[in-house]
Formats: sequence, C-alpha cells, structure tokens
Amino acid sequence: MRPEPENRLTQRAVKAWRISELFRSIIFWIPVFVLWLISLEGNGPASWIIYTVAAFALVFSILSISLIPKIRWLRWHYQIDQHEIDLMHGVFIIRRTLVPVNRVQHVDTRQGPILRKFGLADVTISTAATTHEIPALDSETADRVRNQISNFARLSKEDV
Amino acid sequence: MSDRSRQHPVAAITNVIEIVRNNFITILIIVFVGSGTDEQSLVNLYWLLGTIAVLLIWGVLTWLRFTYQVVDGEFRVQKGILVRKKLYLTADRIQVIDISAGIVQRMFGLVSVEVKTAGSSSKQARLSAITRGEAELLQKLLRKPADVEAHEEVAEEVAYQLDLKNLLITASTSGSFGIALSIVGTVYTQIDQVVSEERMIHFIQNELPAFYSGNMVFYSIILIILVSWLLTFFGTLIKYAGFNVVLRNEEMVISKGLFERKQLTIPFNRIQAIQIKEELLRQPLGYANVVLESAGYDEEGGKATTLCPLIKKRELSSFLSKVIPEFDVQVGSVTVPGVSLRRYIFRMMIVASMVVIPIWAFIPYGIYSLFFMPIAVLLGYGQYLAAAVGSGENTLIMRYRKLSKVTAIIKRYRVQAVELKSTPFQRRLNLVTLTIQVASGQQGRSFSIWDLSKPLGIYYWDWVSPERSFTDERIVEQPLLTLPAIS
Repeated sequence: MRPEPENRLTQRAVKAWRISELFRSIIFWIPVFVLWLISLEGNGPASWIIYTVAAFALVFSILSISLIPKIRWLRWHYQIDQHEIDLMHGVFIIRRTLVPVNRVQHVDTRQGPILRKFGLADVTISTAATTHEIPALDSETADRVRNQISNFARLSKEDV
Repeated sequence: MSDRSRQHPVAAITNVIEIVRNNFITILIIVFVGSGTDEQSLVNLYWLLGTIAVLLIWGVLTWLRFTYQVVDGEFRVQKGILVRKKLYLTADRIQVIDISAGIVQRMFGLVSVEVKTAGSSSKQARLSAITRGEAELLQKLLRKPADVEAHEEVAEEVAYQLDLKNLLITASTSGSFGIALSIVGTVYTQIDQVVSEERMIHFIQNELPAFYSGNMVFYSIILIILVSWLLTFFGTLIKYAGFNVVLRNEEMVISKGLFERKQLTIPFNRIQAIQIKEELLRQPLGYANVVLESAGYDEEGGKATTLCPLIKKRELSSFLSKVIPEFDVQVGSVTVPGVSLRRYIFRMMIVASMVVIPIWAFIPYGIYSLFFMPIAVLLGYGQYLAAAVGSGENTLIMRYRKLSKVTAIIKRYRVQAVELKSTPFQRRLNLVTLTIQVASGQQGRSFSIWDLSKPLGIYYWDWVSPERSFTDERIVEQPLLTLPAIS
C-alpha cells in the first residue's frame, strides 16, 4: 500500500488555529446570549436552562480551542511530486485526496489577518471541478509549494 | 457587420419573458401571498399591471442599449441600462455558437444566438432575437478559419432519433414525476387556506354526499397523483419532442423541444463522463436513459446534458459504440462487502425518519407515514445491491443507486480528483467511501460509492494515478466478478 504523504504543516499552525477557533467559538455563545437577553425581559426560561446551555458552550469552546487544532495538525499530511498532489487530513472524517498535477488550473496562496500575524499562508489548488486547500503553511513554504505545483502542472501539460 | 447593430425589436419582448421566467417563483409568491381578501386582490391587479408596464419599459430600454458588432474577428457586445457593460470575445476563444428558436422567435421568423467561451459563465453573450441571416453571417465571421475548411466537408449522420412510441414511454415514465408529486402535494395542502373551510364542508355535504373523510383522503391522493402525472407527462413531451442526435466530424448536435427548439453542439473531446440512469419506473421495463457530462456545458440547474432520453438496455452498447465509441466498454467489477449492508439500510432509515417523525408529530393521520420505513429499508437494500465499481484499461465504471440506478463511465484521463473518506464508524469496519470528481458544466460532478472495503478503495484510488502505482498484488488477485458494466 502507498505510504502516507510525508510532509506536515508547521507547528505554528496549531497556535494560529487556536486563535481563529477562539473567534469562531463565539457562535457557541450566541444561544446563551440570546437566552440571557430573553430572561432580562422577565418571563424567560428558567435559569438552570441557561446554565446548561452555557455549560455546553463552554465544553464545545474548550474542545474546539484546545483539542481540535492539535488533532487537525497531527492528521494533516501532504506530498507533491511531478505527477500528483496527495493530501490526507480530517479530525473525525479522514479524507485522502489525490489530484493529478496536470489537472491543476491554478494555485493561489492566501493569508487572513491571523495567518499573517504568524507568518503563515493557505495554498489553494483549483482544478476544473474542485478546489483543495493546504492550510497554514509557512509563508516561504507556501510560496515554494505554489511555484512547485504550477511548474509541475506546466511541465506535465507539455508532456501531453 | 463591422457596424454596431441592434437586435430585432422583438428582443424587447423576449427580454421581458426571460426576466419573468427567471423570477417566476418570486413573482408567483408576490402575486399569491399578496392577495388575501377581495379588496386586496383588486389592488393587486393594478400592482400587477404596473409591474408588467415596468417590465415592458425595461425590456425596450435593454433592447435600445444592447448593441453588438464584429471587429477584426472580435465579437463585441455593449449592454446594460444602469451599468454599461462591454463584453469583448476573441474568435479563437469562442467555443461554440448555439442557434436556437423559442416560440416568440419562431412567430417572427427569428433565432436566438448564444456565444459561449470555456469556463466562467459571465463570459457569455446572448442575442435573444436576430434574423437567421444575421445569425449565419455572425457564425461565419466568428468561426476560426481552420473550422471553416473542416466545415465544408462535414459529414452528417443522424445517430439517434426518438420516435413517437418512445417519446410517449419517456413522458409517461419520467423521473420528474416524483418532483411534480411533491409540488402538487404541497400546493394541495395549501388549498384550504385559499378556499375557506366552511365553504368546503358546505360543498362536500351538499354536492358529494358519498364523500366521508376517509374516502376524501383516498380521492385526494388519487387526484394529486393524477395531476402530477399529467403535468410530468406533458412537460416531458414538450421537452423531448423531436429529440435527435446528429454526428459530425468532431462534434455532435443534440436537438430537442416542441415549442422551443433547442440545439446543443458538443465537441467529442469535451465529454468528461457519461451516466446511464435507470429510473424507478423505467428499470422494470428494461429502459434506461443516458446523460453526459461535458466541460463548459450544462442544462438549467447544473443538470447533465441528456444524450438519449430513452433506450432499451440491450441496445445501449450498440448506441454507445455508434455515438461515443470510447465509452462502449465492458469491465469486471466488484461489489461492496456484506458488512456494509447494515450501514446502507441504517442510512436510509435515518433519512426516512427525518421525514416520518415530523409528519407523525404534526399532521393528522401522520402515523401512516410509518409506511415509509419498510420502503426505506428496501431502498437501502437496493442501494447495497447496486453499489459496484470496476476498472478497465482507461475506464472506471461506478454503479450506485440513490433512487435511480446510475452507472457512471469515467475516463481515467478526465478525472480531476479522487478522494477516499472514512468516518470513525467506517474505520471500525475497515470501510471507505470512494469519490471521483470530473469537470462538468461550470463546476464539477462527483460520483461516490459508499462503504467499499478499504483495500479496494485504495486500489481504485491509486488506479487514477498511473505514474506512481503502489498497487498491492493481494488486491489485484481478489476475485473480480465479470458482470457486464450495464447489467
């Protein structure tokens, strides 16, 4: 059987993800906030309901901030050669994706504010049908990967 | 044609029709939801006339502002009322020029022309009404010189024609029956909001003494089924009347439609994959239909293009070998392992219970919806039986069932991406889901086989990339059931 793809993301990805998860976990608190607003009006739900919902929000937030980024990092593997892009990732659902390099239409790198702060960038690979992402690579690695893929894509197209 | 020209004035009307057609549901909702009591419906009448007037003015303005010309082999369109748009398409980027004629166009002896380039849909220019002469001139001006030469010695052959008998079978067994059923059913349940309940009861008591509530439900169901079937029947009849496929040197031309003749030109080298569909009503009769996925083309709503609306399964092979010989292949195949059966059945039961539980809870007599559960189990079993995958030298065949049984034939060199996916539950049973992505229309199309055994999944995943094969001997030696691809 084919070995797992050999490259991993940088360790700093975990930290960057933790911070973006921190922002994202706000959505867990929206129901709590809404319930609390209703209870201000007087005849809202019983306070134990609010506490229970808050407890769930707390557990989800802690899980998504502490555990998930780490697991996601552990699971993320990628490998690129002149024939194909091999990606493997996923926290609960594990996905292994193979993209023949000569199908690649374009490659981008992008950087949100959080990633920029950590000097990281996402690489996005688009084919005629799909879009794939290698997230949170070192900026230089991201540029290298992008150039590599576009070179391989160009070469393999000349072959055909 | 180096001057800037306008379309035929009829374009103003077709523009309006297009707006109405594209926003049909929105307009319906506004008209129906707005009208409650009698006074209000009068107001709505004025409002409706006002809307029509505004639309007509809009249509005329659009027509006035729309000009096109050909300059140095470049097709230039200027359009837009508030935002001026200039669209320049160079001739060698133009993939196809489609000429068709709707009812309105035909009444005035006009045609509509669509100029398409590959990729993004915004790069499309559509002339909704010009004379046929103008259209042909345009086609001549924009065709690449190489194509013109090829065009002169073009050999045309009608490869397939839908005759009346098959048209009637197609119309009466169409799969969109299910969709129509759900729409008509929904509308029916809303009727009591329009007609007041007292009046209805009054009517029933006076006019139809034989109807009591149990009978009423039964007759309602019959009525819903009949109306839906009639709608589907005539809808399909109009859509597929005169369907034929003509083969030329490098491309095929598919024509169809009773009132609005549609003509699709599809170059052979843009066909990415085909699907052979056996719909629920057709499978027992031994009929199937064929659709094709092609880069840059799709029908409305991202549906694949119909290549053949109805064919006997035993004639499939000869049809394919005539029209697209590279897809006429037979390969060995393997099915999913027995351990997957319970997952297939369980999955369908979950889907069914998402429908059944709300109905049970909220609708009178809803408990009868439990009747869906055994159907779900049967469907799950059918999906399990259908699931199979097989590979030939350059062809991958995936067979699966959602409702209809689908056999997808995919060329290796057309695969855009392949994915193996496993949930924790699948990992426990050593199963994976195999998904193949091909290009189709503006986006892509994916084909999946659920709960394939992991070694097989890896084998087919690997198969896509021939350069770096890590194929395990053990997997190849697994017994490949040599059942024909289309069985």
